[in-house]
Amino acid sequence: MALGNKTLDDLLTPISKQLEHTGVANNVELPAWDFKAVRVTDGMSAPELVDLFAAEAEKVRVAVHRCARTELATCLGSIVAEGVPETGEACTVVCANDERFEQGGVYAALEAQDKVTKLTVWDETRGQENVDAALTATYGITFAAAGIAETATIVQPTNPKCGRAISLLPLVHVAVIDAATIEPTMLEVMENCTGKKLPSQVCFISGPSATADIELVRVEGVHGPMYVHYVIAE
Amino acid sequence: MAILYNTDKSLKERVADCLEDDFKHNAIKTAQEVFYVGRGKLVAEMEGWEDLRRHAVEVRNHVTENLDYYVKQFAQNAEKNGCIMHYAPSGDDALWEVLDIFEKHGASYAVKSKSMMTEEVGLNEILEETGIKITETDCAENILQTAESKPSHIVVPALHFDREAIAQIYREKRGYDGSSVPEEITHYLRKILRHEFMEAEVGIRGCNFAVASTGSVTLVTNEGNGRMVDSFPKVQIVFVGIDRIVPDLEALDTMMALLPRSAVGAKMTAYFSLDSGPAGPGEVDGPEEVHIILMDNGRHTLANTEFSDMLRCMRCGACLNICPVYRHITGHGYGSIYPGPMGLVLTPGLVGYDDIDNMVYACSLCGACSEHCPVGIPIHDLIREHRIKIVEEHKNHAIEVPIFKALELFWSNVPVYKFGMKVGEPIMKALAHGDTALAEDSAWIPVVKGWTSTRDFDILSSTRFRTWFKEHKEEQAAQKAHGVEGGEQ
Repeated sequence: MALGNKTLDDLLTPISKQLEHTGVANNVELPAWDFKAVRVTDGMSAPELVDLFAAEAEKVRVAVHRCARTELATCLGSIVAEGVPETGEACTVVCANDERFEQGGVYAALEAQDKVTKLTVWDETRGQENVDAALTATYGITFAAAGIAETATIVQPTNPKCGRAISLLPLVHVAVIDAATIEPTMLEVMENCTGKKLPSQVCFISGPSATADIELVRVEGVHGPMYVHYVIAE
Repeated sequence: MAILYNTDKSLKERVADCLEDDFKHNAIKTAQEVFYVGRGKLVAEMEGWEDLRRHAVEVRNHVTENLDYYVKQFAQNAEKNGCIMHYAPSGDDALWEVLDIFEKHGASYAVKSKSMMTEEVGLNEILEETGIKITETDCAENILQTAESKPSHIVVPALHFDREAIAQIYREKRGYDGSSVPEEITHYLRKILRHEFMEAEVGIRGCNFAVASTGSVTLVTNEGNGRMVDSFPKVQIVFVGIDRIVPDLEALDTMMALLPRSAVGAKMTAYFSLDSGPAGPGEVDGPEEVHIILMDNGRHTLANTEFSDMLRCMRCGACLNICPVYRHITGHGYGSIYPGPMGLVLTPGLVGYDDIDNMVYACSLCGACSEHCPVGIPIHDLIREHRIKIVEEHKNHAIEVPIFKALELFWSNVPVYKFGMKVGEPIMKALAHGDTALAEDSAWIPVVKGWTSTRDFDILSSTRFRTWFKEHKEEQAAQKAHGVEGGEQ
């Protein structure tokens, strides 16, 4: 048989034959599952979930900040006020374009910091410039769609106002999580996504980029951020 | 590279090479301990672990039983998301499709994040032959590519190099001038590879799980190279095996609760991305074109057979991390890109029995792998099943049959057996030079050599067990009669 240009049927026919199916079924219902696992988060109250989220985050070397929703600008301002981690040099910041940042005065607070030489708010009309800004930025700031308490994971969808680069290219990723969006496990997040049109990417992030490929020694900051901050707004 | 490599050496020669490599041994031992202990701690914390495994088994089995339906559903939904689908019944079909994509775009530069499927079809070699530059971006894979070496573990593939060797590789090949501290080497890789991510025209990646109901593909990484590959090159090629499919997002949660814990002893990896089509309108980064290569390459032949459980495998490597044989012969002994217990089942499943040497015998059938498999694959039973099939298909060594026939005769005939035992004892005694076991110096005897070159082989006793047992019972009865209950404490 010639190579390439195969159809879906070319792929399916041998599978159906192997399964002794006469053809591909039009519909297959999921069976009622026999097993459902209990999770460590079962029965936890909302405040307990927030505490667990924060505790688990620290275990994966995330710097956790908890602040009132109204204090968000101050909290983010104080994080970037440090400048470049370890050296304290002046820095640039790239930030998602989010109404909650705008309304909370976050952009003004970031720009007001002495050590911040440039703030880029993600702007789809400026294309590649956004990515270039993220490439050299020290801080990338995003607003997560949700948090997962069990694993200290943040859920970061991509959209025209928040590109993939913000949480990936800068040296430091600062993610804001509204405490009300913290779910017990990934299951609840998945259930919330079910039936909705998914964005091109939903990224689940749990701490800094890391590797142990050389002699199993853990090193942080491989291709993604070396430092991660979670700001829990409650 | 194809599935099998280093085939100009026999399994025995490969194993002998590996047994002599102390660094490799220690590296594997450390990895096994780190991952195994980490996994153990997390599992102990989770009351629901066993139910989670059982649920994963029922979900994966359901997909396997309806594999044609779920492959179709995934393909149709991925297409609805705007992905361009390519169907590859064979590995060569997959290569053809990839070359076609490069040709259409006139592309000559690609970055890749670790994908076992691309190893399986030998993608790098083919692309390089056609003049396309392809850079591996996972730290370990980049080390292997730069050193022109092969993976020794499916999760941490460059385990067989120490820091000094790695630093030296980059000094020689890339002009690295730093130290051998892992942190410094890693940050050097961050610097050199970042440029490549931005320049590459095509990003090539694998897929841990594909979601049928949403047409999404997923990628689990710690380093972030997977995210770089799927964020910046404008054309993205995703390799998806037909055995990667889960029905829906809820099932994805179950798999993700099991995978990182089983693989590296972590609750979660740093990154887990769920990708559903190319970048949407107004999105500045992300791929403009997503090509999905949906590949079978022999997987369907496992369905509806005694090996269908293997289609549940999620490539976590937990079986490698517990295997005593893997610990000794290390990843390179097997001669397959899928080493260890899972490899012993999968490799012959995909390539057949003709070229695998005695690979399926590289297992003591201890069953530790089956016990630790997060999706409950009876791995050691399947390895045994392969052995049975090899014999049934007469693909075992020709001399085995007469030997076993002779042994059958020996053990099923009482006078012959008794005679054998009687003459065996003085012969062995003589060979042992008065010792109680045959040692290294009896290595000249064929067959026996395999055992005695590394271990002692006890000689036959002059007393039969039954005789000894009878005497022992009588002795005990006599002691009891004298009131010495149970003997000394």
